Amino acid sequence: MKSTSAPENATLKLIGVNKNFGGVTAADNICLELFPGEVVGLIGPNGAGKTTLLNLITGIYMPDKGTVILNDKNISRYPTYKRARAGIARTFQHPRLLDRCDVRTNVYMGSDLANKCKKTTGNVGEQLDYLMELAGLGQTRLDDTIDKLSYGQQKILEIIRAILCEPCVLLLDEPAAGLNNKEIGYVGALIQYAVEKNIGVLLIEHAMDFVMSICDRITVLNFGHQITTGTPKEVQENDEVIKAYLGGGKHAGR
Amino acid sequence: MLEGIKSIKKSFLLVLLVITIGCAFIPFTTTSYMLRVLNIAMIAYLCVLSVYILLGMCGQNSFAQAGLWGVGAYFTANFTLKLGFGSVTAMLVAIVGTALFAFVLGFAFFRLKQYYFTFASIGLMTILNGLFMNWVPVTGGALGISGIPPFQIGGLVLDSETGKFFLIFVVCILANILIQILFHSPMGRSFMAIRDNELAASCLGINSLLTKSIAFALSGALCGAAGALYAFLSGYLSYQTFTYQQSTMYLIMIMLGGTISPVGAIIGTLVISLLQEWVRPLQNYMQLIYGVGIMILMIVQPEGILGGGKAFYEKYIRSRKRDTEVNRR
Repeated sequence: MKSTSAPENATLKLIGVNKNFGGVTAADNICLELFPGEVVGLIGPNGAGKTTLLNLITGIYMPDKGTVILNDKNISRYPTYKRARAGIARTFQHPRLLDRCDVRTNVYMGSDLANKCKKTTGNVGEQLDYLMELAGLGQTRLDDTIDKLSYGQQKILEIIRAILCEPCVLLLDEPAAGLNNKEIGYVGALIQYAVEKNIGVLLIEHAMDFVMSICDRITVLNFGHQITTGTPKEVQENDEVIKAYLGGGKHAGR
Repeated sequence: MLEGIKSIKKSFLLVLLVITIGCAFIPFTTTSYMLRVLNIAMIAYLCVLSVYILLGMCGQNSFAQAGLWGVGAYFTANFTLKLGFGSVTAMLVAIVGTALFAFVLGFAFFRLKQYYFTFASIGLMTILNGLFMNWVPVTGGALGISGIPPFQIGGLVLDSETGKFFLIFVVCILANILIQILFHSPMGRSFMAIRDNELAASCLGINSLLTKSIAFALSGALCGAAGALYAFLSGYLSYQTFTYQQSTMYLIMIMLGGTISPVGAIIGTLVISLLQEWVRPLQNYMQLIYGVGIMILMIVQPEGILGGGKAFYEKYIRSRKRDTEVNRR
Protein backbone atom coordinates (compact mmCIF):
# COMPACT_ATOMS: atom_id res chain seq x y z
CA MET A 1 0.00 0.00 0.00
CA LYS A 2 3.01 2.26 0.48
CA SER A 3 3.40 4.25 -2.68
CA THR A 4 7.02 5.39 -2.48
CA SER A 5 10.04 3.40 -1.49
CA ALA A 6 12.06 6.50 -0.60
CA PRO A 7 14.15 5.90 2.53
CA GLU A 8 12.33 7.35 5.53
CA ASN A 9 12.99 6.98 9.18
CA ALA A 10 10.94 4.26 10.76
CA THR A 11 8.25 5.58 13.11
CA LEU A 12 8.40 2.58 15.37
CA LYS A 13 11.47 0.45 15.80
CA LEU A 14 11.89 -2.61 18.01
CA ILE A 15 15.48 -3.70 18.59
CA GLY A 16 16.08 -7.10 20.15
CA VAL A 17 13.03 -7.04 22.40
CA ASN A 18 12.90 -9.90 24.88
CA LYS A 19 10.23 -11.00 27.33
CA ASN A 20 10.10 -14.08 29.57
CA PHE A 21 7.24 -15.26 31.73
CA GLY A 22 8.77 -17.69 34.17
CA GLY A 23 10.44 -20.16 31.86
CA VAL A 24 8.34 -19.33 28.82
CA THR A 25 9.83 -17.06 26.21
CA ALA A 26 7.01 -14.91 24.89
CA ALA A 27 9.22 -12.65 22.81
CA ASP A 28 12.71 -13.65 21.75
CA ASN A 29 14.93 -11.01 20.25
CA ILE A 30 12.22 -9.40 18.14
CA CYS A 31 13.31 -6.77 15.64
CA LEU A 32 10.67 -4.82 13.79
CA GLU A 33 10.39 -1.61 11.84
CA LEU A 34 7.24 0.27 11.00
CA PHE A 35 7.30 3.16 8.53
CA PRO A 36 4.73 5.95 8.26
CA GLY A 37 1.78 4.95 6.12
CA GLU A 38 2.80 1.32 6.05
CA VAL A 39 0.72 -1.69 7.08
CA VAL A 40 2.69 -4.47 8.70
CA GLY A 41 0.95 -7.74 9.47
CA LEU A 42 1.85 -9.78 12.51
CA ILE A 43 0.82 -13.39 12.09
CA GLY A 44 1.49 -16.66 13.78
CA PRO A 45 -0.37 -19.53 15.43
CA ASN A 46 -2.16 -19.07 18.75
CA GLY A 47 0.29 -18.49 21.58
CA ALA A 48 2.97 -17.23 19.22
CA GLY A 49 3.36 -14.04 21.29
CA LYS A 50 1.61 -11.59 19.01
CA THR A 51 -0.52 -9.92 21.65
CA THR A 52 2.43 -10.02 24.05
CA LEU A 53 4.42 -8.06 21.51
CA LEU A 54 1.64 -5.48 21.31
CA ASN A 55 1.60 -5.27 25.09
CA LEU A 56 5.36 -4.72 25.04
CA ILE A 57 4.96 -1.89 22.54
CA THR A 58 2.18 -0.21 24.54
CA GLY A 59 4.00 -0.64 27.85
CA ILE A 60 1.47 -2.94 29.50
CA TYR A 61 4.48 -5.24 29.89
CA MET A 62 8.00 -3.89 30.21
CA PRO A 63 10.56 -5.66 28.02
CA ASP A 64 13.25 -7.64 29.84
CA LYS A 65 15.79 -6.66 27.23
CA GLY A 66 15.87 -4.56 24.09
CA THR A 67 14.63 -1.13 23.12
CA VAL A 68 11.42 0.31 21.73
CA ILE A 69 11.99 3.46 19.70
CA LEU A 70 9.23 5.79 18.60
CA ASN A 71 10.15 8.75 16.38
CA ASP A 72 13.84 8.41 17.36
CA LYS A 73 12.96 8.48 21.04
CA ASN A 74 13.68 5.56 23.33
CA ILE A 75 10.38 4.80 25.04
CA SER A 76 11.32 1.40 26.50
CA ARG A 77 10.80 2.56 30.09
CA TYR A 78 7.74 4.73 29.51
CA PRO A 79 4.53 3.73 31.28
CA THR A 80 1.48 3.03 29.12
CA TYR A 81 -0.14 6.46 29.33
CA LYS A 82 3.09 8.23 28.30
CA ARG A 83 3.46 5.98 25.28
CA ALA A 84 -0.12 6.74 24.32
CA ARG A 85 0.66 10.45 24.57
CA ALA A 86 3.82 9.90 22.50
CA GLY A 87 1.63 8.56 19.70
CA ILE A 88 0.83 4.88 20.15
CA ALA A 89 -2.84 3.97 19.85
CA ARG A 90 -4.21 0.46 20.04
CA THR A 91 -7.33 -1.63 20.02
CA PHE A 92 -7.91 -4.84 21.92
CA GLN A 93 -8.82 -8.34 20.89
CA HIS A 94 -12.06 -7.94 22.83
CA PRO A 95 -13.18 -4.33 22.58
CA ARG A 96 -12.46 -2.34 25.70
CA LEU A 97 -14.93 0.48 25.48
CA LEU A 98 -16.35 2.49 28.34
CA ASP A 99 -19.44 0.35 28.60
CA ARG A 100 -21.40 2.54 31.00
CA CYS A 101 -20.92 5.62 28.81
CA ASP A 102 -22.54 6.66 25.55
CA VAL A 103 -20.93 6.53 22.10
CA ARG A 104 -20.02 10.21 22.23
CA THR A 105 -18.02 9.90 25.45
CA ASN A 106 -16.19 6.93 24.00
CA VAL A 107 -15.05 8.55 20.80
CA TYR A 108 -14.29 11.85 22.52
CA MET A 109 -11.78 9.99 24.70
CA GLY A 110 -9.68 9.69 21.56
CA SER A 111 -9.92 13.33 20.54
CA ASP A 112 -9.26 14.36 24.16
CA LEU A 113 -5.88 12.68 23.88
CA ALA A 114 -5.18 14.36 20.54
CA ASN A 115 -6.09 17.75 22.00
CA LYS A 116 -3.98 17.16 25.10
CA CYS A 117 -0.87 16.24 23.14
CA LYS A 118 -1.11 18.79 20.37
CA LYS A 119 -2.27 21.57 22.69
CA THR A 120 -4.92 22.51 20.19
CA THR A 121 -8.66 22.23 20.47
CA GLY A 122 -9.43 20.98 17.00
CA ASN A 123 -12.98 20.30 15.98
CA VAL A 124 -13.65 16.61 16.26
CA GLY A 125 -17.13 16.78 14.69
CA GLU A 126 -16.32 16.66 10.98
CA GLN A 127 -13.68 13.96 11.17
CA LEU A 128 -15.94 11.91 13.43
CA ASP A 129 -18.91 12.19 11.08
CA TYR A 130 -16.71 11.17 8.16
CA LEU A 131 -15.28 8.17 10.01
CA MET A 132 -18.67 7.02 11.28
CA GLU A 133 -20.05 7.20 7.75
CA LEU A 134 -16.97 5.42 6.38
CA ALA A 135 -17.32 2.62 8.91
CA GLY A 136 -21.01 2.03 8.39
CA LEU A 137 -21.97 3.61 11.71
CA GLY A 138 -23.70 6.57 10.07
CA GLN A 139 -27.04 5.57 11.59
CA THR A 140 -25.69 5.27 15.13
CA ARG A 141 -26.84 7.95 17.52
CA LEU A 142 -24.07 9.43 19.62
CA ASP A 143 -26.34 9.39 22.68
CA ASP A 144 -26.80 5.62 22.56
CA THR A 145 -25.11 3.54 25.19
CA ILE A 146 -22.51 1.03 24.10
CA ASP A 147 -24.67 -2.02 24.76
CA LYS A 148 -26.96 -0.94 21.90
CA LEU A 149 -24.10 -1.69 19.45
CA SER A 150 -23.33 -5.12 18.07
CA TYR A 151 -19.99 -6.79 18.77
CA GLY A 152 -18.70 -5.86 15.33
CA GLN A 153 -19.83 -2.26 15.67
CA GLN A 154 -18.09 -2.07 19.04
CA LYS A 155 -14.82 -3.27 17.52
CA ILE A 156 -15.15 -0.76 14.69
CA LEU A 157 -15.93 2.02 17.16
CA GLU A 158 -12.77 1.15 19.05
CA ILE A 159 -10.73 1.58 15.85
CA ILE A 160 -12.39 4.96 15.24
CA ARG A 161 -11.52 5.99 18.79
CA ALA A 162 -7.90 4.97 18.21
CA ILE A 163 -7.71 6.92 14.93
CA LEU A 164 -9.15 10.01 16.64
CA CYS A 165 -6.16 9.90 19.01
CA GLU A 166 -4.18 11.06 15.95
CA PRO A 167 -1.39 8.57 16.65
CA CYS A 168 1.84 7.94 14.73
CA VAL A 169 1.36 4.21 15.16
CA LEU A 170 -1.88 2.25 15.24
CA LEU A 171 -1.82 -1.24 16.70
CA LEU A 172 -4.79 -3.43 15.85
CA ASP A 173 -5.27 -6.70 17.71
CA GLU A 174 -7.38 -9.01 15.55
CA PRO A 175 -9.76 -6.33 14.30
CA ALA A 176 -11.54 -8.70 11.93
CA ALA A 177 -12.11 -11.59 14.36
CA GLY A 178 -15.81 -12.22 14.90
CA LEU A 179 -16.86 -9.78 12.17
CA ASN A 180 -18.92 -10.50 9.08
CA ASN A 181 -17.61 -9.75 5.58
CA LYS A 182 -19.29 -6.38 5.36
CA GLU A 183 -17.80 -5.30 8.67
CA ILE A 184 -14.36 -6.56 7.62
CA GLY A 185 -14.73 -4.26 4.62
CA TYR A 186 -15.33 -1.33 6.99
CA VAL A 187 -12.21 -2.26 8.97
CA GLY A 188 -10.26 -2.28 5.69
CA ALA A 189 -11.61 1.17 4.86
CA LEU A 190 -10.55 2.50 8.26
CA ILE A 191 -7.06 1.07 7.83
CA GLN A 192 -6.91 2.70 4.40
CA TYR A 193 -7.91 6.00 6.01
CA ALA A 194 -5.14 5.63 8.62
CA VAL A 195 -2.61 4.93 5.86
CA GLU A 196 -3.68 8.07 4.01
CA LYS A 197 -3.08 9.99 7.23
CA ASN A 198 0.47 8.58 7.22
CA ILE A 199 -0.12 6.45 10.31
CA GLY A 200 1.90 3.25 10.54
CA VAL A 201 -0.40 0.30 11.16
CA LEU A 202 0.63 -2.91 12.89
CA LEU A 203 -2.02 -5.54 12.38
CA ILE A 204 -2.50 -8.85 14.15
CA GLU A 205 -4.93 -11.00 12.28
CA HIS A 206 -5.84 -14.60 11.58
CA ALA A 207 -8.00 -13.97 8.52
CA MET A 208 -5.31 -14.71 5.91
CA ASP A 209 -7.07 -13.26 2.86
CA PHE A 210 -7.49 -9.99 4.71
CA VAL A 211 -3.87 -9.88 5.88
CA MET A 212 -2.40 -10.81 2.50
CA SER A 213 -4.48 -8.22 0.67
CA ILE A 214 -3.92 -5.27 2.97
CA CYS A 215 -0.35 -5.61 4.31
CA ASP A 216 2.82 -4.21 2.78
CA ARG A 217 5.01 -6.50 4.83
CA ILE A 218 4.34 -9.39 7.15
CA THR A 219 6.21 -10.63 10.19
CA VAL A 220 5.66 -14.21 11.25
CA LEU A 221 6.05 -15.29 14.86
CA ASN A 222 6.08 -18.74 16.38
CA PHE A 223 6.64 -19.50 20.07
CA GLY A 224 8.03 -16.00 20.55
CA HIS A 225 10.55 -16.40 17.75
CA GLN A 226 10.55 -14.22 14.70
CA ILE A 227 10.55 -16.62 11.77
CA THR A 228 10.66 -14.13 8.94
CA THR A 229 9.66 -10.72 7.69
CA GLY A 230 8.83 -9.98 4.09
CA THR A 231 6.23 -9.12 1.52
CA PRO A 232 3.05 -11.25 1.55
CA LYS A 233 4.37 -13.18 -1.45
CA GLU A 234 7.76 -13.92 0.15
CA VAL A 235 6.09 -15.02 3.35
CA GLN A 236 3.69 -17.34 1.55
CA GLU A 237 6.60 -19.00 -0.20
CA ASN A 238 8.81 -19.32 2.87
CA ASP A 239 9.25 -22.98 3.76
CA GLU A 240 9.66 -22.38 7.45
CA VAL A 241 6.44 -20.39 7.57
CA ILE A 242 4.56 -23.08 5.71
CA LYS A 243 5.88 -25.64 8.15
CA ALA A 244 5.06 -23.59 11.24
CA TYR A 245 1.86 -21.98 10.31
CA LEU A 246 0.30 -22.14 6.90
CA GLY A 247 1.34 -25.81 6.78
CA GLY A 248 -1.25 -28.47 7.49
CA GLY A 249 -4.32 -28.27 5.32
CA LYS A 250 -3.10 -25.77 2.79
CA HIS A 251 0.15 -27.57 2.15
CA ALA A 252 -1.49 -30.95 1.94
CA GLY A 253 -4.14 -29.58 -0.37
CA ARG A 254 -1.66 -28.64 -3.09
CA MET B 1 -13.51 23.39 30.77
CA LEU B 2 -14.95 25.61 28.06
CA GLU B 3 -16.28 22.58 26.26
CA GLY B 4 -17.94 21.48 29.49
CA ILE B 5 -19.65 24.84 29.92
CA LYS B 6 -20.87 24.84 26.33
CA SER B 7 -22.31 21.36 26.52
CA ILE B 8 -24.56 22.08 29.51
CA LYS B 9 -28.01 21.47 28.19
CA LYS B 10 -30.69 24.12 28.35
CA SER B 11 -33.01 21.56 29.92
CA PHE B 12 -30.58 21.16 32.82
CA LEU B 13 -30.56 24.90 33.48
CA LEU B 14 -34.34 25.00 33.22
CA VAL B 15 -34.78 22.20 35.75
CA LEU B 16 -32.28 23.93 38.02
CA LEU B 17 -34.22 27.20 37.74
CA VAL B 18 -37.53 25.54 38.57
CA ILE B 19 -36.01 23.76 41.57
CA THR B 20 -34.38 26.99 42.74
CA ILE B 21 -37.60 28.97 42.59
CA GLY B 22 -39.55 26.15 44.21
CA CYS B 23 -37.07 25.76 47.04
CA ALA B 24 -36.83 29.47 47.67
CA PHE B 25 -40.29 29.29 49.24
CA ILE B 26 -39.44 26.42 51.58
CA PRO B 27 -38.15 28.57 54.49
CA PHE B 28 -41.42 30.51 54.65
CA THR B 29 -43.69 27.48 54.73
CA THR B 30 -42.00 25.24 57.25
CA THR B 31 -41.03 25.22 60.91
CA SER B 32 -37.59 26.25 62.11
CA TYR B 33 -36.96 22.67 63.28
CA MET B 34 -37.74 21.24 59.86
CA LEU B 35 -35.54 23.90 58.32
CA ARG B 36 -32.65 22.74 60.46
CA VAL B 37 -33.27 19.19 59.29
CA LEU B 38 -33.18 20.39 55.69
CA ASN B 39 -29.99 22.36 56.28
CA ILE B 40 -28.27 19.29 57.70
CA ALA B 41 -29.62 17.26 54.78
CA MET B 42 -28.21 19.71 52.24
CA ILE B 43 -24.81 19.54 53.90
CA ALA B 44 -25.04 15.76 53.75
CA TYR B 45 -26.00 16.18 50.10
CA LEU B 46 -22.71 17.97 49.39
CA CYS B 47 -20.83 15.07 50.96
CA VAL B 48 -22.92 12.58 48.98
CA LEU B 49 -22.03 14.53 45.82
CA SER B 50 -18.40 14.09 46.78
CA VAL B 51 -19.04 10.35 46.93
CA TYR B 52 -20.70 10.64 43.52
CA ILE B 53 -17.53 12.12 42.01
CA LEU B 54 -15.38 9.46 43.56
CA LEU B 55 -17.60 6.38 43.29
CA GLY B 56 -20.13 7.27 40.61
CA MET B 57 -17.73 8.86 38.16
CA CYS B 58 -14.31 7.47 39.02
CA GLY B 59 -15.32 4.10 40.47
CA GLN B 60 -13.32 4.46 43.68
CA ASN B 61 -15.01 3.71 46.98
CA SER B 62 -14.02 5.76 50.01
CA PHE B 63 -15.07 5.45 53.64
CA ALA B 64 -13.20 8.61 54.62
CA GLN B 65 -15.63 11.27 53.38
CA ALA B 66 -16.90 12.17 56.87
CA GLY B 67 -13.27 12.58 57.90
CA LEU B 68 -12.67 15.04 55.07
CA TRP B 69 -15.89 16.76 56.05
CA GLY B 70 -14.44 17.12 59.56
CA VAL B 71 -11.14 18.44 58.19
CA GLY B 72 -13.08 21.18 56.40
CA ALA B 73 -15.08 21.99 59.53
CA TYR B 74 -12.02 22.21 61.81
CA PHE B 75 -10.18 24.31 59.22
CA THR B 76 -13.08 26.77 59.31
CA ALA B 77 -13.31 26.79 63.10
CA ASN B 78 -9.62 27.45 63.54
CA PHE B 79 -9.40 30.13 60.89
CA THR B 80 -12.42 32.08 62.17
CA LEU B 81 -12.13 31.59 65.93
CA LYS B 82 -8.41 31.36 66.58
CA LEU B 83 -6.85 33.21 63.66
CA GLY B 84 -9.64 35.75 63.20
CA PHE B 85 -10.12 35.46 59.45
CA GLY B 86 -13.39 36.38 57.74
CA SER B 87 -16.02 33.77 56.90
CA VAL B 88 -15.39 33.78 53.17
CA THR B 89 -11.63 33.41 53.59
CA ALA B 90 -12.10 30.63 56.12
CA MET B 91 -14.45 28.78 53.81
CA LEU B 92 -12.06 29.10 50.87
CA VAL B 93 -9.22 27.87 53.07
CA ALA B 94 -11.37 24.92 54.15
CA ILE B 95 -12.15 24.02 50.53
CA VAL B 96 -8.61 24.39 49.20
CA GLY B 97 -7.01 22.91 52.32
CA THR B 98 -9.19 19.81 52.31
CA ALA B 99 -8.69 19.38 48.58
CA LEU B 100 -4.90 19.53 48.96
CA PHE B 101 -5.03 17.19 51.95
CA ALA B 102 -7.06 14.70 49.90
CA PHE B 103 -4.82 15.11 46.86
CA VAL B 104 -1.62 14.31 48.77
CA LEU B 105 -3.22 11.31 50.48
CA GLY B 106 -4.77 10.18 47.21
CA PHE B 107 -1.38 10.26 45.55
CA ALA B 108 -0.13 7.84 48.21
CA PHE B 109 -3.27 5.70 48.44
CA PHE B 110 -3.96 5.20 44.76
CA ARG B 111 -0.72 3.33 44.33
CA LEU B 112 -2.93 0.60 45.77
CA LYS B 113 -4.99 -1.13 43.15
CA GLN B 114 -8.64 -2.18 43.15
CA TYR B 115 -10.41 -2.26 46.51
CA TYR B 116 -7.26 -1.76 48.57
CA PHE B 117 -7.87 1.97 48.34
CA THR B 118 -11.14 1.37 50.18
CA PHE B 119 -9.29 -0.34 53.02
CA ALA B 120 -6.77 2.49 53.17
CA SER B 121 -9.64 4.97 53.38
CA ILE B 122 -11.07 3.09 56.37
CA GLY B 123 -7.69 3.51 58.03
CA LEU B 124 -7.68 7.20 57.18
CA MET B 125 -11.15 7.64 58.66
CA THR B 126 -10.10 5.96 61.90
CA ILE B 127 -6.96 8.07 62.18
CA LEU B 128 -8.82 11.30 61.44
CA ASN B 129 -11.46 10.53 64.04
CA GLY B 130 -8.73 9.78 66.58
CA LEU B 131 -7.08 13.05 65.68
CA PHE B 132 -10.32 15.02 66.11
CA MET B 133 -10.74 13.46 69.54
CA ASN B 134 -7.18 13.87 70.82
CA TRP B 135 -5.49 16.83 69.16
CA VAL B 136 -6.67 19.28 71.84
CA PRO B 137 -5.00 22.55 70.68
CA VAL B 138 -6.58 22.31 67.23
CA THR B 139 -9.80 20.37 67.64
CA GLY B 140 -10.61 21.04 71.28
CA GLY B 141 -10.36 17.34 72.01
CA ALA B 142 -13.36 15.61 73.49
CA LEU B 143 -14.93 18.92 74.48
CA GLY B 144 -15.00 20.11 70.88
CA ILE B 145 -14.95 23.69 69.65
CA SER B 146 -17.84 26.01 70.37
CA GLY B 147 -18.71 29.60 69.57
CA ILE B 148 -17.89 29.59 65.87
CA PRO B 149 -19.35 32.83 64.48
CA PRO B 150 -22.04 32.55 61.80
CA PHE B 151 -21.28 33.25 58.16
CA GLN B 152 -21.02 36.93 57.36
CA ILE B 153 -20.25 38.75 54.17
CA GLY B 154 -19.95 42.52 53.86
CA GLY B 155 -21.86 43.32 57.06
CA LEU B 156 -24.61 40.81 56.29
CA VAL B 157 -24.70 38.27 59.10
CA LEU B 158 -26.49 35.02 58.29
CA ASP B 159 -27.36 33.90 61.81
CA SER B 160 -31.01 33.02 61.29
CA GLU B 161 -31.96 29.54 60.19
CA THR B 162 -33.45 31.00 56.98
CA GLY B 163 -30.27 32.89 56.17
CA LYS B 164 -28.24 29.74 56.66
CA PHE B 165 -30.68 27.85 54.46
CA PHE B 166 -30.06 30.21 51.56
CA LEU B 167 -26.28 30.13 52.06
CA ILE B 168 -26.18 26.34 51.96
CA PHE B 169 -28.70 26.24 49.14
CA VAL B 170 -26.58 28.52 46.96
CA VAL B 171 -23.50 26.38 47.58
CA CYS B 172 -25.49 23.25 46.65
CA ILE B 173 -26.63 24.81 43.38
CA LEU B 174 -23.07 25.91 42.57
CA ALA B 175 -21.78 22.42 43.32
CA ASN B 176 -24.39 20.96 40.99
CA ILE B 177 -23.43 23.27 38.14
CA LEU B 178 -19.74 22.47 38.66
CA ILE B 179 -20.46 18.73 38.58
CA GLN B 180 -22.44 19.16 35.38
CA ILE B 181 -19.50 20.98 33.81
CA LEU B 182 -17.12 18.32 35.06
CA PHE B 183 -19.31 15.57 33.62
CA HIS B 184 -18.98 16.94 30.08
CA SER B 185 -15.31 17.93 30.29
CA PRO B 186 -12.25 15.87 29.30
CA MET B 187 -11.44 15.56 33.00
CA GLY B 188 -14.84 14.00 33.76
CA ARG B 189 -14.46 11.66 30.78
CA SER B 190 -11.09 10.52 32.05
CA PHE B 191 -12.71 9.74 35.45
CA MET B 192 -15.33 7.62 33.72
CA ALA B 193 -12.71 5.92 31.57
CA ILE B 194 -10.93 4.81 34.73
CA ARG B 195 -14.20 3.60 36.22
CA ASP B 196 -15.14 1.56 33.17
CA ASN B 197 -11.80 0.24 31.99
CA GLU B 198 -8.55 1.26 33.58
CA LEU B 199 -6.36 -0.49 31.00
CA ALA B 200 -8.14 1.16 28.09
CA ALA B 201 -7.87 4.47 29.94
CA SER B 202 -4.10 4.20 30.22
CA CYS B 203 -3.90 3.28 26.53
CA LEU B 204 -5.76 6.53 25.87
CA GLY B 205 -3.04 8.51 27.64
CA ILE B 206 -4.67 8.84 31.04
CA ASN B 207 -2.36 8.85 34.04
CA SER B 208 -4.59 6.89 36.35
CA LEU B 209 -2.68 7.68 39.57
CA LEU B 210 -2.87 11.42 38.96
CA THR B 211 -6.44 11.35 37.68
CA LYS B 212 -7.71 9.36 40.65
CA SER B 213 -5.89 11.71 43.01
CA ILE B 214 -7.58 14.66 41.32
CA ALA B 215 -10.95 12.95 41.72
CA PHE B 216 -10.20 12.46 45.41
CA ALA B 217 -9.11 16.09 45.69
CA LEU B 218 -12.32 17.32 44.04
CA SER B 219 -14.38 15.20 46.39
CA GLY B 220 -12.26 16.63 49.22
CA ALA B 221 -13.09 20.15 48.06
CA LEU B 222 -16.81 19.38 48.23
CA CYS B 223 -16.42 17.83 51.68
CA GLY B 224 -14.40 20.88 52.74
CA ALA B 225 -17.20 23.18 51.63
CA ALA B 226 -19.71 21.00 53.46
CA GLY B 227 -17.53 21.10 56.58
CA ALA B 228 -17.27 24.89 56.49
CA LEU B 229 -21.04 25.18 56.08
CA TYR B 230 -21.58 22.79 58.98
CA ALA B 231 -19.29 24.87 61.20
CA PHE B 232 -21.24 28.03 60.33
CA LEU B 233 -24.57 26.26 60.77
CA SER B 234 -24.03 24.62 64.12
CA GLY B 235 -21.36 26.84 65.68
CA TYR B 236 -20.12 23.83 67.61
CA LEU B 237 -17.94 20.94 66.46
CA SER B 238 -17.57 17.61 68.19
CA TYR B 239 -15.49 14.65 67.14
CA GLN B 240 -18.63 12.54 67.53
CA THR B 241 -20.10 14.09 64.37
CA PHE B 242 -17.33 13.05 62.01
CA THR B 243 -17.46 9.32 62.36
CA TYR B 244 -17.06 6.20 60.31
CA GLN B 245 -20.83 5.65 60.62
CA GLN B 246 -21.42 8.99 58.93
CA SER B 247 -19.17 7.97 56.01
CA THR B 248 -21.12 4.77 55.68
CA MET B 249 -24.34 6.77 55.71
CA TYR B 250 -23.16 8.78 52.69
CA LEU B 251 -22.45 5.57 50.83
CA ILE B 252 -25.87 4.20 51.73
CA MET B 253 -27.47 7.42 50.52
CA ILE B 254 -25.82 7.29 47.11
CA MET B 255 -26.39 3.55 46.72
CA LEU B 256 -30.06 4.06 47.55
CA GLY B 257 -30.40 6.94 45.11
CA GLY B 258 -28.27 5.41 42.39
CA THR B 259 -24.76 6.19 41.21
CA ILE B 260 -25.56 6.79 37.55
CA SER B 261 -26.22 10.52 37.89
CA PRO B 262 -25.99 13.27 40.52
CA VAL B 263 -29.79 13.15 40.73
CA GLY B 264 -29.31 9.87 42.58
CA ALA B 265 -27.47 11.81 45.28
CA ILE B 266 -30.47 14.13 45.73
CA ILE B 267 -32.95 11.26 45.93
CA GLY B 268 -30.83 9.20 48.32
CA THR B 269 -30.07 12.10 50.65
CA LEU B 270 -33.67 13.28 50.78
CA VAL B 271 -35.13 9.82 51.37
CA ILE B 272 -32.73 8.91 54.17
CA SER B 273 -32.74 12.33 55.85
CA LEU B 274 -36.52 12.58 55.89
CA LEU B 275 -36.85 8.92 56.86
CA GLN B 276 -34.71 9.61 59.90
CA GLU B 277 -37.18 12.33 60.93
CA TRP B 278 -40.36 10.43 60.21
CA VAL B 279 -39.40 7.29 62.04
CA ARG B 280 -37.83 9.08 65.01
CA PRO B 281 -40.17 7.20 67.43
CA LEU B 282 -38.52 3.99 66.21
CA GLN B 283 -35.02 5.36 66.71
CA ASN B 284 -33.88 2.33 68.70
CA TYR B 285 -34.60 0.13 65.71
CA MET B 286 -32.99 2.48 63.19
CA GLN B 287 -29.81 0.41 62.73
CA LEU B 288 -31.93 -2.69 62.17
CA ILE B 289 -34.09 -0.90 59.61
CA TYR B 290 -30.97 0.32 57.74
CA GLY B 291 -29.36 -3.09 57.81
CA VAL B 292 -32.36 -4.93 56.46
CA GLY B 293 -33.14 -2.09 54.07
CA ILE B 294 -29.66 -2.20 52.52
CA MET B 295 -29.83 -5.95 52.07
CA ILE B 296 -33.21 -5.74 50.37
CA LEU B 297 -32.01 -2.86 48.20
CA MET B 298 -28.93 -4.74 47.03
CA ILE B 299 -30.98 -7.79 46.12
CA VAL B 300 -33.95 -6.06 44.52
CA GLN B 301 -32.42 -2.99 42.95
CA PRO B 302 -28.60 -2.83 43.00
CA GLU B 303 -28.64 0.25 40.75
CA GLY B 304 -30.61 2.25 43.30
CA ILE B 305 -33.90 4.08 42.95
CA LEU B 306 -32.68 6.05 39.94
CA GLY B 307 -31.30 2.98 38.16
CA GLY B 308 -34.55 1.13 38.82
CA GLY B 309 -36.58 4.07 37.56
CA LYS B 310 -34.47 4.29 34.42
CA ALA B 311 -34.83 0.59 33.68
CA PHE B 312 -38.58 0.84 34.24
CA TYR B 313 -38.79 3.88 31.93
CA GLU B 314 -36.82 2.16 29.15
CA LYS B 315 -39.02 -0.90 29.44
CA TYR B 316 -42.07 1.33 29.19
CA ILE B 317 -40.71 3.09 26.07
CA ARG B 318 -39.89 -0.25 24.45
CA SER B 319 -43.33 -1.69 25.14
CA ARG B 320 -44.98 1.44 23.74
CA LYS B 321 -42.83 1.19 20.61
CA ARG B 322 -43.84 -2.43 20.23
CA ASP B 323 -47.51 -1.51 20.65
CA THR B 324 -47.39 1.18 17.98
CA GLU B 325 -45.64 -1.20 15.62
CA VAL B 326 -48.30 -3.82 16.19
CA ASN B 327 -51.00 -1.24 15.63
CA ARG B 328 -49.41 -0.13 12.39
CA ARG B 329 -49.54 -3.65 11.06
